[in-house]
Amino acid sequence: MTTASPSVFLLMVNGQVESAQFPEYDDLYCKYCFVYGQDWAPTAGLEEGISQITSKSQDVRQALVWNFPIDVTFKSTNPYGWPQIVLSVYGPDVFGNDVVRGYGAVHVPFSPGRHKRTIPMFVPESTSKLQKFTSWFMGRRPEYTDPKVVAQGEGREDENAEAEIPRSTWVCLCPSPAWLMLPFCPQ
Amino acid sequence: MAEVHVIGQIMGASGFSESSLFCKWGIHTGAAWKLLSGVREGQTQVDTPQIGEMAYWSHPIDLHFATKGLQGWPRLHFQVWSQDSFGRCQLAGYGFCHVPSSPGTHQLACPTWRPLGSWREQLARAFVGGGPQLLHGDTIYSGADRYRLHTAAGGTVHLEISLLLRHFDRYGVEC
Repeated sequence: MTTASPSVFLLMVNGQVESAQFPEYDDLYCKYCFVYGQDWAPTAGLEEGISQITSKSQDVRQALVWNFPIDVTFKSTNPYGWPQIVLSVYGPDVFGNDVVRGYGAVHVPFSPGRHKRTIPMFVPESTSKLQKFTSWFMGRRPEYTDPKVVAQGEGREDENAEAEIPRSTWVCLCPSPAWLMLPFCPQ
Repeated sequence: MAEVHVIGQIMGASGFSESSLFCKWGIHTGAAWKLLSGVREGQTQVDTPQIGEMAYWSHPIDLHFATKGLQGWPRLHFQVWSQDSFGRCQLAGYGFCHVPSSPGTHQLACPTWRPLGSWREQLARAFVGGGPQLLHGDTIYSGADRYRLHTAAGGTVHLEISLLLRHFDRYGVEC
């Protein structure tokens, strides 16, 4: 069943960014992108996307629903650098400027099947109170120039973050048959 | 050589009396293990929970080891610190846990502890901050000389770690 030669394996990710809970904010949209190691490459589908703007439902749930599809296939020879999905959520502030409401990242699931993940989101925060007030007033919050840093471990010690609890929920399906022929120990 | 991939996240911490927490993490292995890719240690960002009490870091871990033996199976160790509004850091807890040995995804909850000093030091810590710290970090994951310590419980560090093993069957290890 397994071959001795170095094998390329495929990882197919189908799913959606389903919804979010942000008690304090409304009219949000999200962007997703994938961060992966050097041995990985996307072969099909889109590795980035921007969703629609959604408002909270009027009922008790107060749900922010995107139902935003994710459809991408990666190929690789090495599990190191396993893809992570990075989500950034943006919304308008009091003055109408588009500001970031949260960043979050999670690894794509490791086993075939249906998975549901709830991702906590965080925003960078200024350390000085004056800067916090200025940024609130001017609508220019601290923001990452490249959201992909959220998926990296190095360099985080210089950041401060506030975490909002939940988060984006998403469902991922990985039924690709090529994944099951990996020469790794199966679960 | 057998290979082990440790991929996952340090999700966050709960149960600490302080908010604004960050975590310094590292992984310790025996002499037979070699790190092929990834960074062996790191530090998360400082997180201040706005809703609820759990601090979330979502700090990614991606390590690829090659090994010639099972001795010295990797251990993750943590130091959780809190940072106040003046930028001073205070130790909140030390903890360690072994990386799981069966393939698949695991949710780990690692309890932490911090050294208590004399009653004077405890009083000073309550008012001014600071408090005793370990001189040698390896006491966090080793049992030697622990009998000298008197400690109190800290909160819990939550991790989600997935493990992929390769070539263990060649060496007669069932996984």
